[in-house]
Amino acid sequence: MRNLIQPVLTIAGKDIRDALKDRFIILMTAFLLLASLVALAVAAIALKVDVATYAEAKAGLIALGKDASTIPDPAFYPLKLLRGFVEHVEIIGAIIGILIGYRAAASERGRQTLALIVTRPISQWQFLAGKVLAGTAIISSGLILAFVIAGIAVIAISGIVLNPEDIGRLAIVMSAAGLYALAFFLLGFVTALWAKKLPNALLLAFTVWLSFVLIAPQIGDTLDPDNQVAGGVFKQLQIAKPQQVEILQSFSTYETIRNGIEVASPTKHFERLSFAVLGIKDTYAGQPLMPILAEKASDLVWLLAIALALGLLLFARRLDPNRLSKE
Amino acid sequence: MNTYVVETRQLTKRYGDHAAVKNLSLSVERGEVFGFLGHNGAGKTTTIHMLTTLLKPTSGTALVCGKSVTDQSLEARRHIGYVPENVRLYDTMTARANLLFFARLSGVENPDRRIDETLDFLECRDLAPRLVGSFSKGLRQRIGLAQAILHRPDVLFLDEPTSGLDPMGIKTLRDLIVRLNREFGTTIFMNTHLISEISRTCTSIGVLNQGELVFRDTIEKVTERYGSESSLEELYLSVTPVQAKGAA
Repeated sequence: MRNLIQPVLTIAGKDIRDALKDRFIILMTAFLLLASLVALAVAAIALKVDVATYAEAKAGLIALGKDASTIPDPAFYPLKLLRGFVEHVEIIGAIIGILIGYRAAASERGRQTLALIVTRPISQWQFLAGKVLAGTAIISSGLILAFVIAGIAVIAISGIVLNPEDIGRLAIVMSAAGLYALAFFLLGFVTALWAKKLPNALLLAFTVWLSFVLIAPQIGDTLDPDNQVAGGVFKQLQIAKPQQVEILQSFSTYETIRNGIEVASPTKHFERLSFAVLGIKDTYAGQPLMPILAEKASDLVWLLAIALALGLLLFARRLDPNRLSKE
Repeated sequence: MNTYVVETRQLTKRYGDHAAVKNLSLSVERGEVFGFLGHNGAGKTTTIHMLTTLLKPTSGTALVCGKSVTDQSLEARRHIGYVPENVRLYDTMTARANLLFFARLSGVENPDRRIDETLDFLECRDLAPRLVGSFSKGLRQRIGLAQAILHRPDVLFLDEPTSGLDPMGIKTLRDLIVRLNREFGTTIFMNTHLISEISRTCTSIGVLNQGELVFRDTIEKVTERYGSESSLEELYLSVTPVQAKGAA
């Protein structure tokens, strides 16, 4: 058993040490952290403005001699502040995943060291497993750092200490983010291993990123009938839920196509799950965790399936070290 | 006991219609320093890639220390050391860290001691703490050689080992190859297109022309028959007629 695992750990250890010296990866991770903190600060400012508006309205009522005690205080969910952070993980996290994956293969191709590795008495799966293990460790470390900083920032901004359930919710979203970034790591790694020319690999990976991270969710959102008016068409027109369902039934084919475009994107699955678990989407704010998880389990399964499919693709195909040693 | 360390039968590698190596039948005995001579593009590197399990042959068989490079590739690799042309290694790691990495992949017991022994043998222990990225081509080639012999392979495959080296670097590397063969008994399989390299280092020679083996003999017999290095050059040009005409 030791003989099987030793080469995997050796390759993973080398890759992790290598990545820690890579300025570009460090820079991208720092950028993710900075962008997340900025998003949290913006969310905090928006919240403060809302609270001030509410307090002003309440004071106005009292000044007019009206009874303001019947107006309930607005509910505050600190995890809602993480909306911008989740969106940054969706976009920048995917880029970092691709870059780490690309780097894992490109570094060996560029240095022609792959030929040296695969002429050692190790199997192809051990080489690939070492690379995937390293990628998983690097991505996990970055995400743990990002989520811990985001959690601390939420506490600092809101002044509310997160309860164990909130921390559990953060952990679930962090795990989903790990799976999501791993899928993009595998995309970057597979394309960089197989492409005849390395720049083509990067081009292909970023075309996929553009299509599935930016374009598909955007198309899905833009085509959503309820998104055509700020605040939602149905809400603005004060149409009740049963009538909404009835109206939407007339657009079932349209809705199937729109939803199909959305579910093709791993980003949308990650977003749906995260927004529900963190209560960012109003429907789920303040709702207990277990029913949300039961409802959103399919999104987690989708993320898992995408990562597994790319993993299978990676391990199923024989490496062509001759091609990989010519770069 | 089979004395052949490398044995190929009808070994062929095709890329579409083009045969890079055609029906190569070749044997290299234990302890030989075999020089594989040929023009650029003759199929030498393709042959080494098949023998080091990097490339799957289209047809034919190849054994390294009696192990098939296709069906018993893991076992075959235990006997192989390989130094590609222009070996680069990991620039951001020290020479020792590079060697430790490859020693662990080769399953070397007590790797630190083995690294010290190997660097002592190659007379470059002072390079151990330095980053490989700061090395000249010659020093890099020496660490490349070190990574290939850490596990004391039976056969060492060298692909154009002196390519790009200065005369001093060439001489040092040549001496090391000879010492490696004498002191460890390592069989050397060396690709080259330099006749001077063959005459000064090798004990036997094979000439590959357009993927076919056109000449195979010991250097001793060749020298007996043809005499000096310049005659070896004439021999080489006479057995590789197509390219020679093109060059002329």
